[in-house]
Amino acid sequence: MTAPAGARGAGRAIGVGRTRVPLGLAYVLMIVFLYLPIAVLFVFSFSTNTTLRFAIQGYTLDWYAAIFENEQLLTAARNSLVVGFLAATVATSLGLAVGIAVVRFRFAGRGLLIALAGAPLVVPFIMLAVALFLLFNLLDVPRSMFTIAAGHSVIALPYATLILLSRLVGLDPAIEDAAMDLGASYPTTLRRVVLPLLGPSLLSAWLTCFIVSFDEVALAIFLAGGDQTFPVFLYGQLRFAQTLPVMIAMAVLLMLGTVTLTLIAFLIRSRSE
Amino acid sequence: MPARPSRFPAWLIAFVSAALLLAACQSQGGPSSSADPSAGAESAAASVSEPNALTVLEWSGYEAEDYWTEFKAASPDTKVDFQFGISDSDILSLMEGDSTADIFHFYTGWQQFYVDEGLVQEIDTSKLTNWDKVPDSFKAMGQVNGKQYFLPWDWGFTSILYNTDHVNGEITNWDALFDDAYAKHISMWDDGPAAVTTSAYIHGYDETAITDDQLASIEAEWKAQKPLNLHYWTGEYVDFCPEVQSGDIWVAYAWQGCYATVLYDESQPIAYANPKEGRNSWVGLYGISSKTESYNLALKFLDDKLGATSCGNAVALFYYGCANQEVMDAITDPVLIQAFGIDDPTILEHTNFTPPVTADQRKAWTDMWARVKAE
Amino acid sequence: MLGRRGSLWFLAVPPYLWLVLLFVVPLGVVAAISLLPGAGRINFNAGWPSLNQYQQVLETPAYLRRLGISVGMAFVIAATATILAYPVAYFLAFRARGRATIFLILLLVPFASSYLLRVMAWKLLLGREGAINWVLTSTGLTHEPAGLLVYSQAAVVITLVYVWVPFAALPIYAALQRVDRSHLEAAADLGAGPWTRFGRITIPMSLPGALATFFMVFIPTVGEYVTPSLVGGTDGIMYGNLIQDFFTRAGNWPLGSAMAVLMLLAVLVLVLLALKLVDLRRVAA
Repeated sequence: MTAPAGARGAGRAIGVGRTRVPLGLAYVLMIVFLYLPIAVLFVFSFSTNTTLRFAIQGYTLDWYAAIFENEQLLTAARNSLVVGFLAATVATSLGLAVGIAVVRFRFAGRGLLIALAGAPLVVPFIMLAVALFLLFNLLDVPRSMFTIAAGHSVIALPYATLILLSRLVGLDPAIEDAAMDLGASYPTTLRRVVLPLLGPSLLSAWLTCFIVSFDEVALAIFLAGGDQTFPVFLYGQLRFAQTLPVMIAMAVLLMLGTVTLTLIAFLIRSRSE
Repeated sequence: MPARPSRFPAWLIAFVSAALLLAACQSQGGPSSSADPSAGAESAAASVSEPNALTVLEWSGYEAEDYWTEFKAASPDTKVDFQFGISDSDILSLMEGDSTADIFHFYTGWQQFYVDEGLVQEIDTSKLTNWDKVPDSFKAMGQVNGKQYFLPWDWGFTSILYNTDHVNGEITNWDALFDDAYAKHISMWDDGPAAVTTSAYIHGYDETAITDDQLASIEAEWKAQKPLNLHYWTGEYVDFCPEVQSGDIWVAYAWQGCYATVLYDESQPIAYANPKEGRNSWVGLYGISSKTESYNLALKFLDDKLGATSCGNAVALFYYGCANQEVMDAITDPVLIQAFGIDDPTILEHTNFTPPVTADQRKAWTDMWARVKAE
Repeated sequence: MLGRRGSLWFLAVPPYLWLVLLFVVPLGVVAAISLLPGAGRINFNAGWPSLNQYQQVLETPAYLRRLGISVGMAFVIAATATILAYPVAYFLAFRARGRATIFLILLLVPFASSYLLRVMAWKLLLGREGAINWVLTSTGLTHEPAGLLVYSQAAVVITLVYVWVPFAALPIYAALQRVDRSHLEAAADLGAGPWTRFGRITIPMSLPGALATFFMVFIPTVGEYVTPSLVGGTDGIMYGNLIQDFFTRAGNWPLGSAMAVLMLLAVLVLVLLALKLVDLRRVAA
């Protein structure tokens, strides 16, 4: 995702006659706009206020301590991890299969496969939520972590496919030909040559899918049943003022977690490209 | 690259197949096959083979051990799982459909559906140690066709909560919700049947026999009232009580929980109306699924919920009433006495309990509310 | 030993099966359920398939108006997010130089934080005793809080723009990176000023990216129900809330299904119209 090599020189050339529009200021304002609300939450997670009202009355770490006494909360967080893990793993595997099939093969149904893999992006989440809700009802599949993971694997698939596709397009097919000329079968070539080259992109795709699933609430509300994920639990707990500060503390912790994952995913990707 | 990453595809394939397998197993473990509606109370005899686990279909928040303390203490090894519904309609849907719950929790007005559809079995009250602490008026709430199908637990009032800084004089009438002097400071509960009940009180309609014309005028009335609301509230403590505490909501359809909360924190001068049409009262009921394999365990769970600690926590933490009368009689806190109207011996004489209505009526009322919300 | 063609089966069949089972079939199920004539849950004994549910939706002006309002809100949200993200993406692509990556990460971090909590944060900011009013009153700018800013259509729009803006910058940034610098240089050599170059070269070349951004925000927003239920109040209710109600509160699945199908049709028609206007495939190229 770094700028192409030519950008630096071109930038200077454009600079000769460029306008004095303060674009840097636009960026700074955007960053302030984006971070201010999060900062407010961060402050509240340490405040003694039990309701979300200004001004701050005092500071405490009690809410963070209370997280570990709330079994339901921990279960929900664990469910989110399991769902995210399953969804990301399925979506990344399928995205990889789609990527290789589409980039390396010409076959009937190729265009349809690309279209299908991207289609979840053009369907509003509530539509898919309702659709899967009805499907699982018809099939008598009880709603659980697995139904949420199944739903999330579908909405994460376009992301995995896009990330892996863009990397595969840049891979020289001659490398594979060389491996096969040396006697390796195609599956062996994929496993021993292509996958290691894709490694960083795979990890980045997996992390992206994990984050998409981990935070998703619109589908999860419909598909959760008894196994609440953290966002679903949070949505329900918003009813109870007493537990709200603990929820915020937990969310701040998880936020730090997903932010770290995002950074890792991003760094891996920009280093590999 | 070292050789290890080359094992990736095998792993990935293993994960996908594992996920598929698990999903398939889940679907086979469904509830339907074991259902035997005729099992009824006889299944009580088969207690020896009962699994030592319970699943409770609850409302979010009620899963806290505070509300089943006695059972947890007496049966620490029993695995208690919770499933959640977000509305009475949702809970009925779940019980009709894929829920594996042994026990479910819902509110007055929905009793007959569970009985008519064979989703519930009778409660053997002779096995309940706390049953004699439940007043007869509450016991009656759980009876259908003369049989005790449900166990009453939490209860409370619905009336109009108002801020006396912004409302001159006393509110004595449900139609205060329609007063445009309070525009954008009113909040109605997001619920069709509640809207119909309120209109029925105001106009003196018979709630159990609302005619089409009456329903049409009720719809028009609530559509006209819609712009007066700040919002339709859905959660007492998330989008309702904080807005009362901050002084943004002046007049609202409310339960006594928020009334007690504001009396405690004194954030606003607050009053809870005794409308001349009467307050509304609601009772939370527990039923035992006709599909359960753990009838005796479920019975024990419900009996323990009526215990002094669990019931007392409903009062102390939710500010809801509880069906154990000894707990209610022991209340000395003046705020709670005021909130429950314990100091008013005639309170029940001017309280209306939500009557049962038919499925068609309920559908008509919720459809009406959907149109009001879309307006 | 599998040959290349054999491997193709192994590669293409699992994603096909997965997507058919969990995407195509469920959408078909919604369409099928929407044709059931009865109310309530799924009841195949209620009679022959019919367009009853669609008739009921189309005969209720309030539902259609709410769909119109939701499409309008989604349009405003997507357009605002795109317009706000454009200068930022432009800055990243042309001015940030070597720091573009780190600046981009900084922009994306909020998007990785909890969606619900970001919505809650805006409740905190917009409430009567929220941060904005607190700053106004404590700095003496106003004596009385400026009233409640939350619980309105505007609150839904502000919150969702906030939620989507960092994400919106990505496709525009990618499109701007592909703008050929030599075109810009050539234009400059021919005496075109910066604004002319921007209007004649940069804008047209980044338009597909901007349009992709627009739809990536617009589509999920049309069906949004979580944010309006938290900050929308009575006038911020969206069409998605009505659909959700028919599944979780009103318990009328066939009618809810018909409403969902109508929404999807409306979205697809709008997307196809846009595809007619600009060839989106250029974005993917």
